Amino acid sequence: MEYLIHLAILFSIYAILGVSLNLVVGYTGLLSITHAAFYGIGAYTTAILLTKTGVGFFNSVILGIIVAIALSFLIGVVLSKFKGDYYALGTFGFNTMIFAIFLNWQNLTMGPFGIPGISKPELLSINFANNFNFLVLALIFLGLIYFIARFITKSPFGRVLKAIREDEKAIAVFGYNTPYFKLAIFSISAAMAAVAGSLFASYLTFIDPSSFRLMESTFILAIVILGGLANLRGAILGALFLILLSEILRFVGFPPDIAAQMRQVVYGVILILVMLYRPQGLMGEYKL
Amino acid sequence: MEIVPQLILNSIIAGSIYALIALGFNFIYGATKFFNLAHGVMAAIGGYAVFYFAKTLGLNLYFAVILGVALAGIVGYGLDKFIYLPLRKRKASNMVLLVASLGAMTALQAVIAILFTSRFKTFSQNIGTQKLFEVLGGVITQTQLIIILVTALILAGLVFLLYKTQFGKAVRAISDDEEVARIVGINTNKIIGYVFFIGSALAGLAGILVGFDTGIEPTMGLGLLLKGVIASVIGGVGNIYGGVLGAFLLGFVENFGIWKISGEWKDAIAFTLLIVFLIFRPRGIMNK
Repeated sequence: MEYLIHLAILFSIYAILGVSLNLVVGYTGLLSITHAAFYGIGAYTTAILLTKTGVGFFNSVILGIIVAIALSFLIGVVLSKFKGDYYALGTFGFNTMIFAIFLNWQNLTMGPFGIPGISKPELLSINFANNFNFLVLALIFLGLIYFIARFITKSPFGRVLKAIREDEKAIAVFGYNTPYFKLAIFSISAAMAAVAGSLFASYLTFIDPSSFRLMESTFILAIVILGGLANLRGAILGALFLILLSEILRFVGFPPDIAAQMRQVVYGVILILVMLYRPQGLMGEYKL
Repeated sequence: MEIVPQLILNSIIAGSIYALIALGFNFIYGATKFFNLAHGVMAAIGGYAVFYFAKTLGLNLYFAVILGVALAGIVGYGLDKFIYLPLRKRKASNMVLLVASLGAMTALQAVIAILFTSRFKTFSQNIGTQKLFEVLGGVITQTQLIIILVTALILAGLVFLLYKTQFGKAVRAISDDEEVARIVGINTNKIIGYVFFIGSALAGLAGILVGFDTGIEPTMGLGLLLKGVIASVIGGVGNIYGGVLGAFLLGFVENFGIWKISGEWKDAIAFTLLIVFLIFRPRGIMNK
């Protein structure tokens, strides 16, 4: 039972990441390979605040969101002029740089050793050190983010995003300032990823830079692409599928180190196969 | 040993490696017009092949190098044959090809880690102590001298291939317009297959040279890829000379950048250079 709860918590975190990345990749058609950077920014903000200051978990979530929005704004201002492969390259580079910061700004992040002893959230005398309570908390966050995402995609703003995806020049002719829309959705998505990061840090009580490298961004991208571009339920399905798949690999009896690599092989191959045979993913409404 | 001459030498050495990666990357980009993210992992394949053939099997070192270069080329050719070619035939967008190459990179890198563990390895027992040369007041090892010479040779060879041979003419025709090239009777798929072989073999060679200079690890391709792509973009993507120019510019900026700050920040410096170019000259130095 404990184990199932653990899996469900991991699933909730990755579902948040998948849903939020889908806003950028699926709805707006911008190939972002940097989601793990914002995930990490949320995680590190929470970890640093909870271990070094008296700020509580929920305030650290808000601060994580603010930091993620600030950084995504800085890089987004540059990237929003672009689309396609240049966008992908820019985000790729950004993830590498943020990873370098996690690894090398030792005074703040403790570098490769990571930050241990992150406390669990507490609210109105409910202690989330209990995993079941934590799961409820994670699901509440997932539900909130899902509904925000749904609201965005159904709103006029969301329709502009889809129009940008289909034909950016045409929608620009109608007087829409498309870089502004691309920047806004990139920052919203980054903020959501930061929430997932805060949950992750507080749940594991230990983080190190290795959880936020480019391969993690690729994994989140695989969730979105497998589940379905421009379909929020698809992203949740993708998260469920890939989390279960990783666990199955552990059960097959690979040693932990090999299992982690096998996971990479599997989702790398999944990316290739989906591109070859079903470029819109399982439930997708849009082909790259 | 004075600091400035040494920094200049280091810049040229780093620039040569980046140039080798950028040459292969641009060669492939010119013919196919997509960002082949699996290009970097070819370097790791070359490096590990030499490690396996020379150190584990004990073959002659020169023979192992030839095998390593060939193996990287064959893997690149195979990727084209089994993944990119079917996608191109279906008129898949560049984004689909990019995501497929991201999947290939992820999977291949993990396969290498499974076969050889993810620990850092060196070829050094096979080479013995290196001869040191003094040039212009700086010190350079024999390997590094070879790196510079090999890069110069490869550049000359590639220019000869592109501008003086029938094959080069076909490649340039495909670069201009694949459709038209096919209409005038060029077997474009076959030519692009060879382009992948040559481009990937060059990346393999770069990986082998890095292996002799420092060492190899499964994730080495990621850093090399990023530097090679940044070099290509700032020089002018798809332009052979542009890639080389960009590579040396990147080498100089990186190495002079760490004059005052510590060396781990090279990636961040490279990314900053990319952003500066994306803001002010997104098409690169050479492209209008």
